[in-house]
Amino acid sequence: MTHASQAIPLNDEAIFDAMPMEEGGQFANHATPLIRNCWYVCARRDEVGRTPISRRLLDTDVVMYRTQSGQPVAMHNRCPHRAFPLVKGRVEGDRLVCGYHGMEFEPDGLCAHLPAVSHVPANACVQTYPIADRGPLTWIWMGDPNLADEALIPELPWLASSEWGTVTGDFHIKADYVSMHENLIDQTHFPFLHPGTVGTPEYARASMEASTEGNQVAITRRLDNAPPPGIYGKPADIMHKNVDRTSEARFASPAVHTAHAKIFDTQPDPGKPSVYGYYITHCFTPESNHSIHYWWFNSRDYRIDDTDTDDFLRDASTQAYYEDVEALEWIMDVVLSDKEAQQFELSFAPDKPGLMARRIMHRLAMAERG
Amino acid sequence: MPDKYKTAVVLERRELTDHISEITLGLADDSPLPASRAGAHVELRFGGNDGRFLRHYSLIGPLGQADDHEAFWRIAVQRENRRRGSDYIHRHFSAGTNVLISPALSPFRLSSDDGPVLLIAGGIGITAILPMLRACVMRRRDVHMLYVGRNREAMAYVEEAEALAGDAVTVHDATALGGRPNLDTLLAQQPTNTTAYVCGPPALIDGTRQAAQRLGWAPERVRHEIFNAAHKAEDHAVTVQTRSGTQIPVSPGHTLLEALEAAGAETFSDCRRGECGLCITSVSSVDTDIDHRDRFLTPDQKRSNRQIALCCSRPRSGSIALDI
Repeated sequence: MTHASQAIPLNDEAIFDAMPMEEGGQFANHATPLIRNCWYVCARRDEVGRTPISRRLLDTDVVMYRTQSGQPVAMHNRCPHRAFPLVKGRVEGDRLVCGYHGMEFEPDGLCAHLPAVSHVPANACVQTYPIADRGPLTWIWMGDPNLADEALIPELPWLASSEWGTVTGDFHIKADYVSMHENLIDQTHFPFLHPGTVGTPEYARASMEASTEGNQVAITRRLDNAPPPGIYGKPADIMHKNVDRTSEARFASPAVHTAHAKIFDTQPDPGKPSVYGYYITHCFTPESNHSIHYWWFNSRDYRIDDTDTDDFLRDASTQAYYEDVEALEWIMDVVLSDKEAQQFELSFAPDKPGLMARRIMHRLAMAERG
Repeated sequence: MPDKYKTAVVLERRELTDHISEITLGLADDSPLPASRAGAHVELRFGGNDGRFLRHYSLIGPLGQADDHEAFWRIAVQRENRRRGSDYIHRHFSAGTNVLISPALSPFRLSSDDGPVLLIAGGIGITAILPMLRACVMRRRDVHMLYVGRNREAMAYVEEAEALAGDAVTVHDATALGGRPNLDTLLAQQPTNTTAYVCGPPALIDGTRQAAQRLGWAPERVRHEIFNAAHKAEDHAVTVQTRSGTQIPVSPGHTLLEALEAAGAETFSDCRRGECGLCITSVSSVDTDIDHRDRFLTPDQKRSNRQIALCCSRPRSGSIALDI
């Protein structure tokens, strides 16, 4: 061991050893190990019931069901005996019964009954995962179970509030969660990838501020006296006006991105609001390094029970997000299949918020590897 | 995505002049390096206890017309008088030295049209211009080259250039000819629609652009490559103060970005030549004027001294407090 205070002789080895220290921090990408110590959405709350369902989350097949009292349960979807997928079995009482030899597992993963053997061997147990319901969603912790503090589940109160009207949808995407996060916090692509929905030419010149707060990244923008984008202006029926708008986009955790937008109509028509608020919630969970499950929510604080507004926002959101989905899948395909040597990314000043998020993700992923 | 940098090793070192060494680099794992486009450059990372450096060097490519593809990269480094990156190379590099190399980058390239080409090299700028000359000769393009230097003995690759293109090469020995070449005359002699490619000291690049402007050439008909945007002979040591109050000394041979990185500060950067804007940082206070050397900030933003490109700009002296 070289003592830190001791002068190291200058030779090629010392020169080369010193090099990597110059890196100011690396950025996560599709190849970075997945961050496991995080609450991810595993399902819509109403998907998980008395009939077991399975989903691949962070490269692991998980089976989910509810106990008689309604508590969600998540287990490895693989019987420890002969790898039979437990989702093909059935729920009896609070137990999940394997469809191959009838092994019965309690919600804590311990085997309570093994029909072919008179006693149950202590090692007959299956991995379980911390799981919890919040509002319309069910969340899972695929990392170290000792760290699964439910207070870390992101607060998304507007999804469960009667003061907000919400439409929602989901996609399975063949792309990585890192590029999804970078896409969501990058607004310079709006006018090009989403010209008809969220992108307006005026927005490209809106001032932007980016900051990190702990392991979150937030960007705020403000644009005064400009036409609203169609997705906000049409349902509010204010497309003929110039409005002021503020927006915040937030990398909230490896599992969640939120956006909060406000439209200010300084001269509202009679009987109409002067402020329109939106929360856009993007929850996504890696299925693998190259694919994700994606649930989106568009919440508004006006015309909350109006089904026409619901229909418009559902269609416009689906179109806008589909444009992102397509783009990310094309990119993933290029990144994974192009064998041209020596490719690397170029970055420019507007990419800074995305790089901030990717640096946090890299740090979190590396910290889990010890 | 593979890492941007790969480990390379110095294969050979050859002295071209009193101050210029040619260095060939191969990948440490013996896999071949690809041929590079004429005018391309590489980022080299090297250094040790008494300093770490990132520098850009043109990839010279094969020297002769008949030479086969080379599976290694050739650069030439001119030693400066101070303890800088080039000085480090001259003192420490020999066969077997390890360095990190980026992929070849080629923002300086021959236009894809078939128009006439005027190449202008000043001093060590020959390293970007020689491969362009070779490419023009191989592809039978109409080419003329001016190679300016202090004197013939101090100029690298004069014979190689003359062997490639004979009379199409004009060597301007400033000592023998008593001064700088007349660029107005040179440009005026060129066929219509000639594009000029210049690599050399800022005075040569500026002189060519101004001559072209006087002759009414469209600005895009002069392409240039600037190296060493981050370093000037008159640079002083300065001090960076971070938000937490930490004082970080920056030597004349290093950029603010390099000093902050070495101190473990969280910085963002990409191009390291003052173009991408990723390293732009807010300035809280500065003792003196800032010498802005980037191409990202607008003239107004530069005058306000409220932001700085860490990769190349620096205060003229004293201390600068950054929001970092």
